[in-house]
Amino acid sequence: MIQNPTILTDVTKCIGCEQCVAACKKINHLPAQGPPPRPGSTPDGLSADRWTTVIRKPHNHFVRKQCRHCEQPACVSVCPVGALQKTPEGPVIYDKSICMGCRYCMLGCPFGIPHYEWTSAAPSVRKCIMCYPHLKSGEVKEPACVTACPTKATLFGTREEMLAEAHKRLAAEPKKYIQRIWGEKIVGGTSVLYIADISLDFLGWNDSKELSDEPLPRKTWAALKMVPFEFVGMGALMGAIYWIIERRRALAGQHSDSTDAGREERGHGK
Amino acid sequence: MENRRIFVFKGILWFICGLAAAVAILRYAFGLGAATALSDTTPWGLWVGFDVMGGVALAAGGFVIAAIVHIFQKERYHAAARPAILTAFLGYGAVAVGLLFDLGLPWHIWHPIIFWNIHSALFEVAWCVMLYLTVLALELAPTILERTPFQRAYRFFSRLALPIMILGIMLSTLHQSSLGSLLLIMPFRVYPLWYSHLLPELFFVSAICLGLSMVMFESSITSWLYRRKPELDMLSGLAKIAAWALSFYLAFKLVDLFAQHKLGLMFAGTWESKLFLFEMLISTVLPIILYSLPAVRRSPTALWLTSLTSVLGFVLNRIDASGISQVWATRSFYFPAWTEFAISLGIVSACGLVFFFIQEHFPVDPHELETIERERATVEKSTPRFAPFTQVWLGEGWRKSLRVYSLLFVLAMAVGLTLAPKSEPAVDRPIQRARGADILRVGDGPRYVYFDHKRHQDDNGGKQSCVLCHHLHMAGDVGTPCSECHRGLYTPTNIFSHDRHVARLGGDASCVKCHGKRRPVDLAAVKKCSGCHEKDMMTKNPVVKVFDVRTACSYKDAMHKMCIPCHAKKASDPKLNKPNLGRCGACHNSGTESEKIYLAAFPPQPEEAARP
Repeated sequence: MIQNPTILTDVTKCIGCEQCVAACKKINHLPAQGPPPRPGSTPDGLSADRWTTVIRKPHNHFVRKQCRHCEQPACVSVCPVGALQKTPEGPVIYDKSICMGCRYCMLGCPFGIPHYEWTSAAPSVRKCIMCYPHLKSGEVKEPACVTACPTKATLFGTREEMLAEAHKRLAAEPKKYIQRIWGEKIVGGTSVLYIADISLDFLGWNDSKELSDEPLPRKTWAALKMVPFEFVGMGALMGAIYWIIERRRALAGQHSDSTDAGREERGHGK
Repeated sequence: MENRRIFVFKGILWFICGLAAAVAILRYAFGLGAATALSDTTPWGLWVGFDVMGGVALAAGGFVIAAIVHIFQKERYHAAARPAILTAFLGYGAVAVGLLFDLGLPWHIWHPIIFWNIHSALFEVAWCVMLYLTVLALELAPTILERTPFQRAYRFFSRLALPIMILGIMLSTLHQSSLGSLLLIMPFRVYPLWYSHLLPELFFVSAICLGLSMVMFESSITSWLYRRKPELDMLSGLAKIAAWALSFYLAFKLVDLFAQHKLGLMFAGTWESKLFLFEMLISTVLPIILYSLPAVRRSPTALWLTSLTSVLGFVLNRIDASGISQVWATRSFYFPAWTEFAISLGIVSACGLVFFFIQEHFPVDPHELETIERERATVEKSTPRFAPFTQVWLGEGWRKSLRVYSLLFVLAMAVGLTLAPKSEPAVDRPIQRARGADILRVGDGPRYVYFDHKRHQDDNGGKQSCVLCHHLHMAGDVGTPCSECHRGLYTPTNIFSHDRHVARLGGDASCVKCHGKRRPVDLAAVKKCSGCHEKDMMTKNPVVKVFDVRTACSYKDAMHKMCIPCHAKKASDPKLNKPNLGRCGACHNSGTESEKIYLAAFPPQPEEAARP
């Protein structure tokens, strides 16, 4: 299996036929049509049984949405038990036997990718795993969705190859494309890249306005790395305060009356 | 004399517990989907916002009082120490029980012990809560053991008290702030007024404020229930400390907002800013003013009300940060189902009952316990009294209570199980054959829409557009549901697009067309939808046939349905004399090999010679 596998989607080439969706469902044994979307959700088409989907945008634009397999994934960093893991090769995978079902990953993901099996009594988090088990075993050479694409709108290769291909296409037709590779730098880079002739900011929550090139896990780590110091510091502080007050009371106790001790006696007398 | 206040109060708590027990059955049998209103865009709801976030913060009284009494050695607050520690223990117990409901796979709740991820704030919270629950049990041990024969154990735990208290404060510092760290990773979800990189510190300071108010609230309510004199000296002292702590929190929050240039957002007039101002008002500003007034500090009722206000304000803060403010990003509405409220309140009620039990049997408050035991003894000795109407003697004291409470519990469970929403079975909706449906049934209720096939075709680009809805070439491909394009289909509020109506009807000048000339322009006089869309809003009637189709059929089916009926009709028309028109080969004659083989199996009928 290649190192750092990456999918590049050229939005201008997608015709929205959803063969990728069909192929994804087939290789991952997902039901053709699961339960209807839950009330209150804004369906982008993704669900626990639909790991990739095609979002229809005005003027015949079709944008395939799937897990971005971030270089420094927020979902992996928030999972308290490590049920979501970034594999050494790159894809982000999920292990149900470890998962507690806290659903923190669903909140932590800036793209709203992990979905939950709400109708199940023993639910899992479901999302695209870039056909990792099949790639690993050598059963397939590229993810099923890439193979299925009839227009080669979605390509597969190493990250360097895909970035080079994207840059080549942007340079070849500068008028056609917006000069930007979505996923090159955002939240520290993702393993699913897009080039397009429309803005793809809608793929992130709140139109990606709050997302920068800084990887999200750093925000939490800035606070968490202080934890041991806070722990020891608070203990030392409390111990010191106790010792000082105890000492002052002992000293005050030698004199006839101190306010604190006097009040205490009154309190007990009642 | 029996304490009627306690009796009624406990009865209510038992009833709520019964409801919760019924919902618990539902939740474990059918999963989170059946018992909650959660969705993929709102994966955390009331159970996390109130039970976990709020529960941990509410239990902060334990460590705050422990610090005041045992570290700063303010002995006048000693009376509050044991109840506060008991509350904290029950509070954290409630968090653990709440998690058993909220986690999707609750039998894996112990996993953080062996599977570690030190980069997760939730991992830290999990560990701290586990450890602190243990520490609280140790802190509580002297209270439980004091009047038991295990005096050696009692002395052992009493001597351990100080280091345990310090450990408890250390752990509380960590996880109270880590609840804030939980939200650090989602600047894209939490509204800027609540988001700050100082969230951990803000959560810690507000937990101290909340803890103080909670201790006051609880002390006032127990003294009212047990008809004893409120310890006003202690309460007013706590109020003073709380006023200082709250002032510090207010200043901290304002400086933080100022440093992030977010002060202007507070007065932006959006619903988020109004919610924020309301929250700050009831949690912080009002209590600061009230706690500072000597008149308030002298009145137990005023203190009770003020502390309640502050407690509610801070619980709202936790719910806002972890839930409501995120609507800003998700734009999806979530309101907890009644079942969620039942579980949340049920856990609180169960905690209340355990609190009363321990209060009545162990020296949480030694003076109090004596009174209770004396009362209990007189009730046990008194002659039996019969119930006024039924003439049934239920017994006295705990026997009577037991009977009444269990009746209430069972009744509540029956009510709960009757009301419980039946889970929606996850049916695989089969894709049906093509038909020229006009009226489609949407949803399970009596909701029908008029489906204009021609207009759909025209709007989407004429004949080229068929494949937009009709595809299904591959196994696993699904038919296109209406919701594919009409995204708001499952959210009732989204069906009406005001912008679209304004644009269609002629911009700003069009208001009067629907709203009339009344001023101000409001919903009251608005024209009904059916006023214009009479045809679209047709309801079920005996003439119109309704089709229960929610997805478009396959391309093949769509084409066949259009061609075959007419072809078959024309083939049987002797005047035309084209008997092969209804056969596959009439259209499928591209000449490929596979087609030839297929057609060879169905040789065409010879056309009859022209009849004279």
